Amino acid sequence: MERRAEALTMAAAALLAAFAVALVNFANGGSVDAQTGLTFLVFVLAFGTIFVSVRAFAPRATPLLLPPVVALVAIGFLEIYRLAPERAGLQRWWLLIAAGVAAVTLMLLGRGTTSILRRYRNLILLLSIGLLLLPNLPNDWGLPLRGLEVNGSRLWIVLDLRFTQMQFQPAELAKLGMVIFFAGYLADHQRALREAHRRIGPIRLPEPRQLIPLLLAWGGSIFILIWQRDLGASVLLFAGFVLLLYAATGTTGYLVAGGLMTITGAAAAAYLFDHVQRRVVAWLTPFEHYQDEGFQIAQGLFALGTGSLTGAGPGLGRPDLIPNASTDFIFAAVGEELGLAGTVAVLALFALVIAVGFGISFRSRDTFRKLLAAGLTFVMAVQVFLIVGGVLRLVPLTGITLPFMSYGGSALVGNMVLLALLLRISHEEAT
Amino acid sequence: MNGPIRRVAIGVFICMSLLLAGVTWYQVVRADELRNDQRNPRPLLSERGKERGLIVTADGTVLARSIEDPEDPRSFVREYPEGAQFAHLVGYSSFLVGSSGLEGAYGPDLRSRRDLTISDLVAALLGRDLRPNSIEVTVDPDLQRAAYDALGSNRGAVVALDPATGAVLASVSSPSYDPSLLLGNDAAEQFDILRDDPTRPLLDRGTREIYPPGSTFKTVVAAAALDTGAADPGTTFDDPAEFQLPGSNATISNANGRPCNDGVTATLLEAFVRSCNTIFADLSIQLGAVDIGITADALGFNQEIAYEWEVPEAVWNTEQLAQDAAALGQSGIGERDVRATPLHMAMVAAAVANDGAAVSPYAVSRIFGPDGTTAEETQVAELGRAMSSETAMTLTQMMERVVTEGTGRGAAVPGVRVAGKTGTSTGADDFPNPWFIGFAPVDDPTIAIAVLIEGSEASGESASGGSVAAPIASRLFELWLSG
Repeated sequence: MERRAEALTMAAAALLAAFAVALVNFANGGSVDAQTGLTFLVFVLAFGTIFVSVRAFAPRATPLLLPPVVALVAIGFLEIYRLAPERAGLQRWWLLIAAGVAAVTLMLLGRGTTSILRRYRNLILLLSIGLLLLPNLPNDWGLPLRGLEVNGSRLWIVLDLRFTQMQFQPAELAKLGMVIFFAGYLADHQRALREAHRRIGPIRLPEPRQLIPLLLAWGGSIFILIWQRDLGASVLLFAGFVLLLYAATGTTGYLVAGGLMTITGAAAAAYLFDHVQRRVVAWLTPFEHYQDEGFQIAQGLFALGTGSLTGAGPGLGRPDLIPNASTDFIFAAVGEELGLAGTVAVLALFALVIAVGFGISFRSRDTFRKLLAAGLTFVMAVQVFLIVGGVLRLVPLTGITLPFMSYGGSALVGNMVLLALLLRISHEEAT
Repeated sequence: MNGPIRRVAIGVFICMSLLLAGVTWYQVVRADELRNDQRNPRPLLSERGKERGLIVTADGTVLARSIEDPEDPRSFVREYPEGAQFAHLVGYSSFLVGSSGLEGAYGPDLRSRRDLTISDLVAALLGRDLRPNSIEVTVDPDLQRAAYDALGSNRGAVVALDPATGAVLASVSSPSYDPSLLLGNDAAEQFDILRDDPTRPLLDRGTREIYPPGSTFKTVVAAAALDTGAADPGTTFDDPAEFQLPGSNATISNANGRPCNDGVTATLLEAFVRSCNTIFADLSIQLGAVDIGITADALGFNQEIAYEWEVPEAVWNTEQLAQDAAALGQSGIGERDVRATPLHMAMVAAAVANDGAAVSPYAVSRIFGPDGTTAEETQVAELGRAMSSETAMTLTQMMERVVTEGTGRGAAVPGVRVAGKTGTSTGADDFPNPWFIGFAPVDDPTIAIAVLIEGSEASGESASGGSVAAPIASRLFELWLSG
């Protein structure tokens, strides 16, 4: 019964994507064309693959995760198609690839259990660090693989196969590797980390020696910030680690220390680095710096305000006025064309996915899986908060993608693998 | 371990609530402020980029159309191929300075229907054509252009109607402007220049300004006299050189300063053909403000007449004039507080031509869909009977005499029977406003016309309806009836 309901809601979400494409066509004076059917087919094929893999390799997984994710991908796809139809074509390919990768992930994990990830955590860490470093490959070594600088950030690699070029943001996958490592490391060391502390009066402080991992993670984040100028990934990784550390130990001290380090790091970065400084200026006073730093945020807010309650309608607003609308500002594009109804729906869908993710963690008996599910959910939640909060001026804009929605293949692949991991854990821990 | 995770989860959901509060703040509380922010181009762009329907004449002359923006194939720009000659009628639709004319009046019909109303959505899903509707106007492009040329450098207006239906055949105001100036990014500056121009090129003198109608108003007084039976063309009146207004030191004299006829008596016909102020002042006082008012009201005075946009009311103040014989005498010759638009005086001529039945003027004959099918057709609206059929016939004969032997000889067209009435009212700075109203051909009128020249230094102190306005009407009658 549950599986049928899941399949039906997923099909409904796929229809939503096709319907949205048709609406955008109407708005531009066209009619129902091949794009509509193609979109529906790709959605059915991609999520059908995942659905079948779940039945085969994780049959007891929760049915609540996939449908909201399909809906999020559909709404994101609507705005991508509306902003740049040629990108939407690419995104469809990426959706198929991501679904394939997710299916393969499920299949591989289906042979054993997720515990295998715990065993190989150090290898995964090395791979992740390698992936993170890839964009720093110099351009002039003549390798088919080279780094690429986009908008002043160095987080892309280009795979140049002569006949075609593929661009990839390795951090999107490295992010998952890091979370797996954190979860594995903390599952092994949680007792030591929890119990080694000193008391100064009523305050419990961790042993200085136990702060070393924290310091390492902090250093890694700062490295990313300096060498790759990726504020988003930097904050995301550090926040993910601190939250997991707290979850594993229950020691508020780590949270306090991590918070202090974040503030120190952020203040120093804002003081030292131009690109961080500009973000802060844009965050605090977007309208005063409308012509330069604040333009993107101001346009995002205009888009949200103009969209108001019900939005302009798919294809009928002007989200193309916002720089990077299909990646960083896709949430504002949704707000302009689907209005408050659309933005609240998106937030509700994310809330559902996050709640289910936490639920999987709560129900897990195995420490590693509990921490992994929690960590994956944290990372996704923090990412949603950072980018949506950035658009809404709650936090400075960090320029990361909105999971499942933004244009970008690497992000989609990364998030689909994240989804596959959560599904698999929920299967293994099903009672 | 679930304890700390739960606390983090609670933190996460507090953050999600913050996001909800954030979207509500920007999309509800501050939505209007953000939407209307000067720097937000969206509201203007939503109007600018959209396709608008055609404005065409019955013979297919395009007066306004939307073409694809060469710089942005997904949006449209408006084009006015006929420019200044049709500017006041067609108007403009500018994303910076608003709209006017038919562009403004038919804005909702011409606008693209690709909006987010439920009915449009349903229509789209049913495969209906969502391209905007178009409008067909009644004007004759040749007549319109000829009227514009005939006015030349004069300030003034020409309005021509089909007397039977009220369809506008030409509506020209001069000087005019190029409406495409108001479409660009510098529209606001261009608009300021036009607005501050002392010759007021933006003003549609034909339908948006009222002038004292002068002696053309004598057709109304004569109609009232004939209708009530107070006089007929042969009725005689005293013929002084100056008419002494009762209860006043002021007198009324004729344009040439002499008596109307022989200085003893003159008939109504003679007074009408020669446009004698003395006798019409006398007649008006004899008739009374009320009787004239009944005819004037039946011709649409003192009420809002239905047109494509709001037209200032023509004025005949019955109540006030009933108390003031001197003012009534002056008003009977279309001076003092009597006012009418050229459009309205064309209606008066049309009513005489149409057997005494007045019709509402209109300029748009139909609204049609993108496939050409009519969506809405204008029905001829009878305003009502302004005068009896006999009165109209008699008045027609009198007006024909004006053109054959009276002040309106300038309006004559060889081989065509033309009826008309001249007027020369007091305009701004005491410069005379020459007028002519009339129709042709007399047996079966197909055109009724009003010509007004707004008095200014350019038209001079000696311009009269007969010398300036009537020849313009003649040219247009000739063009219309030869075609």
